[in-house]
Amino acid sequence: MRSPDPAVAQHAAFRHLLLKEVWGALGGRALWTMLLILCPLVGYSFFQAVALYGEASLAARDSAALASGLSPLDGVLVPSFGALYLGVTLLFPFVAIRTLGREKETGTLRLLVQLPYRVPTLIAAKMTAIGVVWLMAMVPALSTLAIWEMLGGHLSPPETVNLVFGHLLYGLLVGAIALFAAAVSDGAATAAIVTLAFTIGSWVLDFALAGQPGMLGWIAQLSLTQTLRRFEQGLLSFGLMLGICAAIAGFAALAAVWLHPGVPRQTKLVRSIAGVTLLAAALAIANQMTLSVDLAEDRRNSFPAADEQALAALCEPLIVTVRLAAEDPRYIDLRRNVLAKLERTLPHVTIRLATAGQSVVGSTSDESYGEIEYAYGGRSVKTRSTSHREALPLIYQLAGRSIPTPKPGDDYAGYPLATNGQAALFWFLGALPMLIALAWWWTRRAPRIPAVFTEEQGEMS
Amino acid sequence: MTTSSGDIPALLQVEGLTKHYGDQIALADVAFSVQSGEVLGLIGPNGAGKTTLLEAIAGIVSANSGHIRWRGTPLTTMQRREFMFYLPDGLRPWDDQYVVRVIAFFADVYGRSDGFASATIHRLGLTPALGKPVAALSKGYARRLMLALALLTPHPLLLMDEPFDGFDLRQTRAIMDVLRDVAAAGRTLVLAIHQLIDAERVCDRFALLADGRLRGIGTLAELRTRTGTTGLEEAFLALT
Repeated sequence: MRSPDPAVAQHAAFRHLLLKEVWGALGGRALWTMLLILCPLVGYSFFQAVALYGEASLAARDSAALASGLSPLDGVLVPSFGALYLGVTLLFPFVAIRTLGREKETGTLRLLVQLPYRVPTLIAAKMTAIGVVWLMAMVPALSTLAIWEMLGGHLSPPETVNLVFGHLLYGLLVGAIALFAAAVSDGAATAAIVTLAFTIGSWVLDFALAGQPGMLGWIAQLSLTQTLRRFEQGLLSFGLMLGICAAIAGFAALAAVWLHPGVPRQTKLVRSIAGVTLLAAALAIANQMTLSVDLAEDRRNSFPAADEQALAALCEPLIVTVRLAAEDPRYIDLRRNVLAKLERTLPHVTIRLATAGQSVVGSTSDESYGEIEYAYGGRSVKTRSTSHREALPLIYQLAGRSIPTPKPGDDYAGYPLATNGQAALFWFLGALPMLIALAWWWTRRAPRIPAVFTEEQGEMS
Repeated sequence: MTTSSGDIPALLQVEGLTKHYGDQIALADVAFSVQSGEVLGLIGPNGAGKTTLLEAIAGIVSANSGHIRWRGTPLTTMQRREFMFYLPDGLRPWDDQYVVRVIAFFADVYGRSDGFASATIHRLGLTPALGKPVAALSKGYARRLMLALALLTPHPLLLMDEPFDGFDLRQTRAIMDVLRDVAAAGRTLVLAIHQLIDAERVCDRFALLADGRLRGIGTLAELRTRTGTTGLEEAFLALT
């Protein structure tokens, strides 16, 4: 096709668009209302977590074993950020939808798509604005970290940053879904229903399908809640990270496909199918990635260092056959204590669920139910224990190796702290909401009008 | 191919533009051309298809068939925003923002100087509204804001839907003067107008639209001759 005359309006600086999007996001009441709701929600969760942690710390004063179970990650950070998770799941969609929904409802989208920006650029600016808004939403939760430190609490930077990073990804994922929902829907209400179908639907998946074998189990893994779980356990899984990033990019791309009102619906559908196929491929690749780093200070996702070293030296494939139903609590224990750690440590490990498709009730008459068989180097051994303390010696025995000597200083001592977070309530129920209200007022005040706009000068040519 | 004169292709050519909404025909094989620097009025009653036609030309709605050519070269939907700017009717753009911020945004995006933006603001009498939220503007000021945004763009072709709606007689005449100056400066205007008296005052040529069909196109004199009538109103009634 022959190119027409040089066009006059092809490109413009991204920063102007970004500034508009950020002002647009700050301009709505939804954001500030969410922030004001998050303050007491996060504050009270933090207060309760600190109180419970304090009580447990008092009980652990004379017991090193009890103290070793006191991790600030589990005791304080995860519950406090859990309130943020609740806020994001239920409230953040409304804030994110507004970045596009308002323009669609008022018809301003017809101006937006004529600006000298490509559609992916428009979506990138909206996603960046959603990211900025999400960072603001994290302020109450992030302030719990500072208060915890001020109370004398311990923070492990790697596991803390990992948790914050997990919530950041979760928020962006919800934001991308909301943007997609706003792009495909005619109104904000419909978009909210679509987004909540994803977020609250995830809870349904968690309750109804978690632990189910086969296809149901795979569907349960699509729950958005799963994206946070590993971060909350102090695990940085590269496969999960890639999967979430692919999902964010995928939903943003689908939003771009559906944004322009001038593209025929059939073209949008064809492009969507291509996008969903690419997203599914990316998720499948991410699912195959097993690389992960245990950032938990108590190394809960890893075997003791001496065992890890010894297991890493096993070159032959290890096959573990489990005769337990997937929903059996013993299988869940085994999965957490042994199987997941073996998958992270051993180069070649295969886990088979021999009872796939069977339920606990249906399997109780089978005498072999509950057995776990480890096969290595042509030999095998069976056990019913779900603890690594019994499983690892069996594996060493199969491999003809001696049990490694534990390394000194390998044990996690825990961080008991008998304190209460009552003072924090003044921050979460008083000072922080006040600051938020001030910021709200600041964004709503009339801007300064440049003098040049009030003094007549120049020519319209 | 329609040309303005000799071999020079028309600035804009609309060819066989058709748009259905289900069984309802919004545009039926509409074809016309627009010459550089002219003011073309799209005339028709409410529901004639004026807005759909402008949006289909601008690529805001997808047409079922037809082509848009720019100096003879077909434009894809995504290319059109580089050559023309469409100003929708009854819009309050980014209504939760202040007027000055919306104007500054357009001026920044299109690289307009403060002086140019200031001149546009003064020419349209927008100064008193600069510090107000867009949502709080009266209908007339909201229309002025939209016109200001259009004038801040550098596109050689402006498509405007009901640009005089919301103005009283004096204001309408002032805005007509602005648009005539814009056309005199070399920009081309296509205005969808349902008030024939307004159209007669500002347009060079007229495209008469009814039920999604183009019933006639030409200057006032040409339409008079063709219909044997004395004014645009009579010509319109005769052709539709």
